[in-house]
Amino acid sequence: MNNLNLSQTSSTPSILADWSKGIVQMKGDSYPENSFELFQPLIDWVQAYLATAGQPLHLDLELVYLNTSSIRSMMDIFEQMEAAHKKGQMVSARWFYDFANERVGQLAEEFREDCTFPFTISSKPR
Amino acid sequence: MIPDALPALESRIEILLHDPAASPADLHAALAVLYERYCLQEQMLARLIHISDKYQMAERERGLSHVEQLQRKVRQVEKIVRISDGYQSMLQDLHTRLTAISNHDDLTGLPNRRHMQERLKQTIAQAERNGDTVSIALVDIDFFKKINDSAGHAIGDVVLTRVAECMRQSMREYDICARWGGEEFLMLFPSCDLQNAAQLAERARAAVAKIPTDDLHAGLNLSVSIGYTEFRLGEAIDSTLKRADDALYCAKSSGRNCVIGSSASNE
Repeated sequence: MNNLNLSQTSSTPSILADWSKGIVQMKGDSYPENSFELFQPLIDWVQAYLATAGQPLHLDLELVYLNTSSIRSMMDIFEQMEAAHKKGQMVSARWFYDFANERVGQLAEEFREDCTFPFTISSKPR
Repeated sequence: MIPDALPALESRIEILLHDPAASPADLHAALAVLYERYCLQEQMLARLIHISDKYQMAERERGLSHVEQLQRKVRQVEKIVRISDGYQSMLQDLHTRLTAISNHDDLTGLPNRRHMQERLKQTIAQAERNGDTVSIALVDIDFFKKINDSAGHAIGDVVLTRVAECMRQSMREYDICARWGGEEFLMLFPSCDLQNAAQLAERARAAVAKIPTDDLHAGLNLSVSIGYTEFRLGEAIDSTLKRADDALYCAKSSGRNCVIGSSASNE
């Protein structure tokens, strides 16, 4: 499977999915015109990775604003990770937010609510 | 089993039962076959009931699984809505904060020039509709450049902040004071004629003159010069501002730390 490497735009986050390192990094705002077009390759990538790589998967997130369809897509990704975790695979996530914007941290908590795999939420200075 | 075999057997037994000449052994044998067939039927019925029960159970489980799936989807949608609401609320707060920042002067916290221009337009439009009076006062801190040069810009900033706070305290609840330029402030007095504007301007001047400065710089005396005027119905706002500016110039020329009004009659 190829790596994914999408640059950040004003309405889409940067997405970097590295197969050999087992890391997915996302950074920025997400309110794309077509969220399926943006997220489906990533959802497929995560699914393929969890099914075949046999290595841990780590998500590094610095997402700020997500529109509703982006929220849905992120929940799909977390659900896949949760299912893999329950089968014994090593998965983890870390969500960074700007310490001046506590609300982003609170919303990340909402995503973490249904996840039993390691999921840390940390503030960081600008 | 042949389909009509059972009725034929039952007919034969009927005949044997009513035939006095019939052999008891024949009757016994026929009854034995009949009994065996009833037993077989009972087994088949039990098997049928068992299979039917299994089908019912499977259907019930399938129904429950659908309900569970549906409930899971509902929970998921509720969660998406909850998170989405959170993001919308975050955006709204951000918008409110940005609006406040764009309308206010960072140092003094007073409305800035852009915001004041909007308020001027609104207040004057309302006054024109209602035939009400509006006055303005242009305030300038005396010798502010000297303060900056001798005491430093940090002290200059404190002076601006104290003067701004002082004027905010001296105003009526519905008056507005904005930072108009470097050391210039503009006060807007709705429902106020020239006579009342004179009193409000003098109150602001007197209050500034009492601001303590001992902790700032030795020998620092704070005062402001104020030019005020009343808006004339039908005139452009720039004309009113020009009149207040001219009055301020007169106040400066008259030795500062004073208020001077400008009306149509003394222009």
